[in-house]
Amino acid sequence: MKRRVSTSIFLLLQLPVIAALAWSLAVLSPEDQRQVKQLVTRKPAAADVRIERNEALVIAPLYDDPQLVSDEELAAVLKRLAPRFSTKKMRPNQIEHALRTWHVGATFQEPGALSGVQMRDFLINYGEFVKSWEPTTEPLLQDRPNDGVFIRWGREEASASVHHDHLLACLTEAGVPRSEPVFTPGRRDLTFGAILNEALRDFRFDEREVEWSVMAFGLWLAPTKSWRLADGREMSFDLLAERLMRGHCKVGTCGGTHRLYSLMVLLRLDESHGPILSPNVRQAAFDHLAAVRDILTNGQFDDGHWPYNWPIGKEAVDKPDASIPLFRHVIATGHHLEWLAIAPETLHPPRDQIRQAAAWVIQKTLERTDTEIISDYTFYSHVANAMCLWRKTTPAKFWMEWETTHPFVPPAAH
Amino acid sequence: MTAPTHDHTQPQPLADASMLEDKVPESLKLSRVVAGLTALLSVLFFAVSTFWRLWHTDLWGHLAYGRIIAGAKSIPATEPLMPLCVGVPFIDTAWLTQVTSYAMFERYGFTSLGFLYAASVTAMSALLVYRGYQRSQSVGLTLCGWLLWMWGCWTQLSIVRPQLAGMLCFATLLVLVTSRHPRLWHWFAVPLLFVVWANCHGSFLVGLVLLATLAVGRAVDLAVRCGEFRAIRRDSQVRRFVLLLELAAAAVLINPYGLRLYAEVLTIANHPNMAELGEWQPLSLRMPQGQAVAAIGLLLVVLYRLSPRRVTAAEVMLLFGFGSAALWSSRMIVWWVPLATYFAMLHASAVWHAWVSPLEQRDPSSSRGLWTVVTLGAAFVGFGLTPFGGRFLHGNEGSWKLQTLVSRQTPLAIVKQLNEMYEQKKLPRGLMFNTYEWGDYLLWAGSPELQQKVFVASHVHLVPREVWQDYIAISNVSSGWEDLLDRYGINLIVLDESTHDILIRRLRENENWRANYSDNVGAVFVRRKPI
Repeated sequence: MKRRVSTSIFLLLQLPVIAALAWSLAVLSPEDQRQVKQLVTRKPAAADVRIERNEALVIAPLYDDPQLVSDEELAAVLKRLAPRFSTKKMRPNQIEHALRTWHVGATFQEPGALSGVQMRDFLINYGEFVKSWEPTTEPLLQDRPNDGVFIRWGREEASASVHHDHLLACLTEAGVPRSEPVFTPGRRDLTFGAILNEALRDFRFDEREVEWSVMAFGLWLAPTKSWRLADGREMSFDLLAERLMRGHCKVGTCGGTHRLYSLMVLLRLDESHGPILSPNVRQAAFDHLAAVRDILTNGQFDDGHWPYNWPIGKEAVDKPDASIPLFRHVIATGHHLEWLAIAPETLHPPRDQIRQAAAWVIQKTLERTDTEIISDYTFYSHVANAMCLWRKTTPAKFWMEWETTHPFVPPAAH
Repeated sequence: MTAPTHDHTQPQPLADASMLEDKVPESLKLSRVVAGLTALLSVLFFAVSTFWRLWHTDLWGHLAYGRIIAGAKSIPATEPLMPLCVGVPFIDTAWLTQVTSYAMFERYGFTSLGFLYAASVTAMSALLVYRGYQRSQSVGLTLCGWLLWMWGCWTQLSIVRPQLAGMLCFATLLVLVTSRHPRLWHWFAVPLLFVVWANCHGSFLVGLVLLATLAVGRAVDLAVRCGEFRAIRRDSQVRRFVLLLELAAAAVLINPYGLRLYAEVLTIANHPNMAELGEWQPLSLRMPQGQAVAAIGLLLVVLYRLSPRRVTAAEVMLLFGFGSAALWSSRMIVWWVPLATYFAMLHASAVWHAWVSPLEQRDPSSSRGLWTVVTLGAAFVGFGLTPFGGRFLHGNEGSWKLQTLVSRQTPLAIVKQLNEMYEQKKLPRGLMFNTYEWGDYLLWAGSPELQQKVFVASHVHLVPREVWQDYIAISNVSSGWEDLLDRYGINLIVLDESTHDILIRRLRENENWRANYSDNVGAVFVRRKPI
């Protein structure tokens, strides 16, 4: 071998090296390009999914059962649940629940009640948020790279949303379109779609609470079955349904009942806009809810309520746990009535049992004082929503119609 | 015709053996030293193959991946084994090692694993001994260097995994680039080596770093000596290392993932889950390998102080660069130690020949056909006596059993028990919480249903962050550990005594769990009321 590497050989050998590099770049798949780019630029990639619709899908109620809740009972419940919040230091969690219940179009004759638009603006307009809090309060909406908007969440601060993607799910159910403008502290050119984009980007399959993320993704993405997360993980509604069924039934917020609601939403979407689930997973989801149905059938107290420790079934009735406060039983009963309202009858306990549960939870709601209702608004809002679903209506629609024949009378007039 | 007659009464003189002609071709004649070192390496091969037990962790997971790839004749796009990692992108940086190991296992049974293990360790040793002896011309110094290498890499060498293939590639590269007389075939050998390396293990990056450092080091030497850029630009060695680096980097692209492989290797190294594994944590003097590194480092200081040999910038950069990496993450020690021992042999040789015994020319007549025969004989005996040798030559394992060749911590009896539960349809539904070090063996030897229950295995960079954190929390019996078991729907727990003794104790005291099986290696627990 010649010991010297001549300049011409040196330059000549650059060609195959450059060709190899060019070839390797050219044959990279889009996903590989995304991951390489992410590594090079150090910027988080967005989820790889296309969203076609501007308005989210809606899960229509299935039943109109006046025996379960009469017009008068429903009106009484809704009257208690009117969003009479002080405009100072409004808690995003409460407003999210109120907006989810009443929807954006809601208006009230009662002066102290917030309209749907007011509630929406508090949540997605930083200017309105600052009016309620202080300019020094950490913003609820936070800018993220790639036109994303992150919702500050956690249990530590009252000015934050409590659950991950809860705000997204509530606004989605409340009928906020993707094109709705969103005003963050730094930008005024974003829309509600930016919140959805960020939720898709920062979603972690194994995070503690996925209930709201799953529901929102279902309502926005169906009939898309699968997509790719920012970290490259392949995601599908099959996986999400299995995730909702994973572990002990008691696991999850509100005694595990939100998981049931989200699972039922997926089944309904699968039926109406699907298929988004594979046959095996669809069957597994159905079986899971049928097992819950059996638990509820056997685990109901004589007065009609389902206990907060409902997953243990009859044992919870035979050995009542006196340490569980009443409001937790309201949570369990109200939430079960909510998912049952959108479930097919094959997944129902006998209708009499459902009516009994409804009667109990209506009674408990009407027994509360206004202060107690506001304090525990998040729980009772599910009661109001459930009752409307069982009458095949929405709170706003029913209440606004009701007020045409039963106008608001100021307390002083009594 | 009359037969010749012999006078048996007179003693016959012995034939003059020196008159026998050594007909072995000159190129095949070997020296006594080669024969001796070969005998030594044969003993090493026999010892590793026969007495070093197969470690109970990564090996089995890699075999399981090899089984899947061989079965599907393609590499899965997403993680195929761990149920909690469904959908996670699977960039298999070791597919060739996995498939090769599995093919050997299929063809020759479990003894082939010991063979592959011993062959890797022996080949690495042979390369170091070859280069060490060639440079030092001293058997003693060569063996001392080899012993230092064994000491420094002992912990890492005890684990059978694709990294051994990476280490072998590194040793091969070291031998090629430290050759005094670069050959034409090196231009082909180095890229080819990187093609193999990139498909066997993700450590090919250290090879590229080695080549880059040699190029930069040479350039620094020239800059200091000549002080002008032209000297660097026109230097043949600089050009050689730069070209080899470029060719090697291009050769790496010949893999199933192309350029993505680079991104993946960098991502794995920085994965937060890795930081929680002992072998990825910083090197400390409390670790046996840390003590070895300290001793080798001190020895290097002494040798560099005494050595009359010129110190190149490249060796300083390599020792400090790879040394810093080893301090940062103890697993990087396997790249520093071969370099350190190689440079130690060089300088020890320089010291020895300068102060004690001047270098003498080798006597060419010392190479004889006899030593070639002895060399071949030693190699054959070393091979033939091993379990794999018996399998290869006689077609069966003889008296060798799997349990005699695997580490004592391998959960053989536990997996047997779990498989029996599967056959009796007594495996509880849901996931199984398991010691991650055992996940690989459970995935390899467990029944199909058991494999679908494995919580985590040693490929922790594939495990979602939250799952890994929950694994750590449960293992450490942190507050809320029972809730976490509920959260995952765990009804079956398989734990080793050596790292999970506290959790085992807590489970024994817990009324929700029942010990189903236990031995001196570990225990199996079943939830009394399955979720």
